[in-house]
Amino acid sequence: MSAAGSRERRSASFLRPGSGLLILPPTVWVLAVLVAPIVLIGLYSVNLKTNLLGVPTAFSTANWKDFLPPGSNPFWDRFKISMTITLVVSVVTVVAAYPLAYFLAFVAGKRRYALLMLLLAPFFTSYLLRVIAWQVILNNHGVINSLLWQLGLRPHGDGIPWLIYSKFSVGLVLFYSWVPFVAVPMFVVLDTMDRSLIEAAHDLGASRLTAFLRVTLPLSIPGVIAGFVFVLIPTTGEFITPLLVGGPSSFMFGNSIQSFFTDTPNWNYGAVLALWLVAIVLVMLLLFGRYLSTDLEDAAT
Amino acid sequence: MTSAVGRLGRIGLSSYFTLLVLFLYAPLVVLVVFSFENSYIQALPWAGFTTKWFHTAFANSDLTSALRRSAMIGLLDGLAATALGTMAAVALARRHLFLRPLWTTLLLLPLVVPYIVLAIGMVIVLHQLGYQSSLSAVLVGHIAISLPYSLLVVLPRLRTLDASIVEAARDLGANPTKAFTLVTLPLLAPALVASVIIAFTISFDEFAIASFIAPPGSPTYPVFLYSGTRTPTLEPQVIAIGAIVVALSMVLVLSAEVGRRWADRRIASA
Amino acid sequence: MTILEWDGYQAAGTKAQTYKTVVFGKDYTDEFGASGLTYSLIQNDSSAINSVRTGKKFDVLHPCAENFRDYVDGGFVQPWDTSLLPSFANLNPALVKGGQFNGQQYAIPWDWGYGSVIYRTDMVDPADATGWELFWNPKYKDRISMWNGATTNFEIAALKLGFPQMDNLTNDQLDQATQSLIEQKPLNKFLWASEYTNLQPALTNGDIWIAYSWQDQWVYGREHKPPIPFNFMQPTQGRLGWYCGFMLGKDTANYYHAHKYVESYINHAAALSLTNTFYYGSADATVKGSEIADQQVAKSLSIGDPNVLSDTSKVHLQSWEPNEVAVQTAWEKVTAA
Repeated sequence: MSAAGSRERRSASFLRPGSGLLILPPTVWVLAVLVAPIVLIGLYSVNLKTNLLGVPTAFSTANWKDFLPPGSNPFWDRFKISMTITLVVSVVTVVAAYPLAYFLAFVAGKRRYALLMLLLAPFFTSYLLRVIAWQVILNNHGVINSLLWQLGLRPHGDGIPWLIYSKFSVGLVLFYSWVPFVAVPMFVVLDTMDRSLIEAAHDLGASRLTAFLRVTLPLSIPGVIAGFVFVLIPTTGEFITPLLVGGPSSFMFGNSIQSFFTDTPNWNYGAVLALWLVAIVLVMLLLFGRYLSTDLEDAAT
Repeated sequence: MTSAVGRLGRIGLSSYFTLLVLFLYAPLVVLVVFSFENSYIQALPWAGFTTKWFHTAFANSDLTSALRRSAMIGLLDGLAATALGTMAAVALARRHLFLRPLWTTLLLLPLVVPYIVLAIGMVIVLHQLGYQSSLSAVLVGHIAISLPYSLLVVLPRLRTLDASIVEAARDLGANPTKAFTLVTLPLLAPALVASVIIAFTISFDEFAIASFIAPPGSPTYPVFLYSGTRTPTLEPQVIAIGAIVVALSMVLVLSAEVGRRWADRRIASA
Repeated sequence: MTILEWDGYQAAGTKAQTYKTVVFGKDYTDEFGASGLTYSLIQNDSSAINSVRTGKKFDVLHPCAENFRDYVDGGFVQPWDTSLLPSFANLNPALVKGGQFNGQQYAIPWDWGYGSVIYRTDMVDPADATGWELFWNPKYKDRISMWNGATTNFEIAALKLGFPQMDNLTNDQLDQATQSLIEQKPLNKFLWASEYTNLQPALTNGDIWIAYSWQDQWVYGREHKPPIPFNFMQPTQGRLGWYCGFMLGKDTANYYHAHKYVESYINHAAALSLTNTFYYGSADATVKGSEIADQQVAKSLSIGDPNVLSDTSKVHLQSWEPNEVAVQTAWEKVTAA
């Protein structure tokens, strides 16, 4: 297919019936790369397929039964620990990002887009590099500990034990990675808010705090939820951050999935965990999707 | 008009914002500062200033070829994802489209499916088909995850395009091809460029899929980075190159922003 | 060529090889240069075989005996042509036999040694350091680092619990070992994943006092200036023993290069350099005691006599596990718990 040919076809179909067919190539791509593998993962999870040599394939829910409650299972426990980390990080991030959005919308004035860019710029540099930088900062012999030793605040060689390979370090780096991004939807909502409502509240004698609690905050809730979901969904499947700054106590559910494929041959069990993760994420999407889609519609119009 | 924020509030919020910006930039500063550190170990006190890690890093052909590999995959990903994303955008910009919610959901799915699941899914598919892991397979995966971003960048731009401009061109006798290439495409250009840059950034930084699918002899840059953090002799080089990558991406982000403003101003004045 | 290898074993002349004294691999890099060699490092035996199972391809692989059969059965490797390996005739017959499957030579043995507890004698009470149970001693919480070594940790737990068949546990024994490792887990500062970047610095600077290791760390401590007071334990239950060998990737496009490469490791000078660098045993039966630099160390480790690997009063050879899937799934449970 020549470039000229494709361009002609695309232009000819733009704003004309038939261009709807253009939806097919990208959709087929996503189906082949994303949906087909998930279907295969599903087959593995019920043992209709296996990578193990000499093991017969037959429908079995044994791995599912082993994983799901009732009955104690370490992966289920790990899932709960992981979700706790995710939820704490999401809530803390939203709470910390709200004043940023508020500052940009109500204080920053004309410079607000420039300052928003300042906030977001680190987000566009390599995620892996930023996590590696945190390693350098938090390590047992890293920047923070060696600084404390220099200042004589801690005996030399004695690092703060929870600084790295801990839930703290995983939470901190996740918070760091998402806080600028989470500010965006809240900023959009606050910035486009009808200011006359706030003024009306003031005119009616409400204090700034009351006006904030009664008017601004409730009106900004869609942005808050969107921000919450922005961090919640990707963090649910997180595995790189715990790999680099986490330890045995702070590995997340994604790490269990990963090691089922890197360290063990038991893809069938790993498939159960992977499919469970997909299901959880889809449930989150069902619960919160409308907040995201309204956001997208806003952006689109 | 009564301001929503009092004087104290302004001071408080401004200081908070400043603190958070410092927090966000601290790791980047650390990376750059320690890229000039003379010792293998990144700790205080400073062991001395050196630029030797930059020399050793650029002399390390494993590292430079990993960078080249990732740049190549990123570029191809940028072009392919933008092409596919634009196709989807053109279709979705229509007033009527059969099964629109289905397409939208499918195309945005890569945004929410965890990359780790995508990665193992691709491993299983390659195993099923009897294919070897390869850099082309990495590219195929990267296109899928970049596609929705491309769509989200191009579609809004396409919607805001004033259809009357295109119609006017048609009225003045331009055929559909001409109308598209002379009117629609130039107006769409900033979004297309942004889409290529975003897709490039995603691919250049992607670790999960690449760590599973890239052949062991030809790691992408993030996979190399990861192994570098486990090798003390490599760590300073990793940090040196990291400092350069950080500096370059900052320049890229800034110029993209400046370019966007310039384009906006030009469109507004047109 | 792409080589799946343990850290430290990279060929002399490659950038990754930091020991300037080693000569293994030298003949190859002298002849063909070092730039064509790319190393992928093995984190543990399980992740090595499983990375191959996920479709990663290598020209030469260096797994240990416990997994030889998995590589052969999985169709990931092909037999060597021993007529292309002049030094093959020097190798210990017992180890050579361990590399044979279906009458063909799939693995060329090279190195053997022990796995045991290494500990700082200046920090650990000698009365506590008698056997593998030291890993379970709560007194040393956060000063312990077991290896992120999957199946190896089940062998350790089996020895501690007194199960004779450490590589063929019954379901009940496996459950007990799993529980035991879950109890041990919180005592670890971390599970070390990389010998030179995690384990060695932590043992040297005293972050860690007790770890799983091979004898090379003990020798490192002896040769360190000033010496680091390590002991490499002879546990009451016995040490673990292992031997490893080179395997040839199924679809390698570098068939003859791979043979040249392996010959550059198994020749006499190369095998001797393995011992004099790490104090591992080599498969080369022609290495004489007088050639080894530190004869005291060599004697204490019975280097030169790989037959010690079958002396079950001292050593338990890590061997192929019929229920590998169950053991590794159990290890995942331990890490998740």
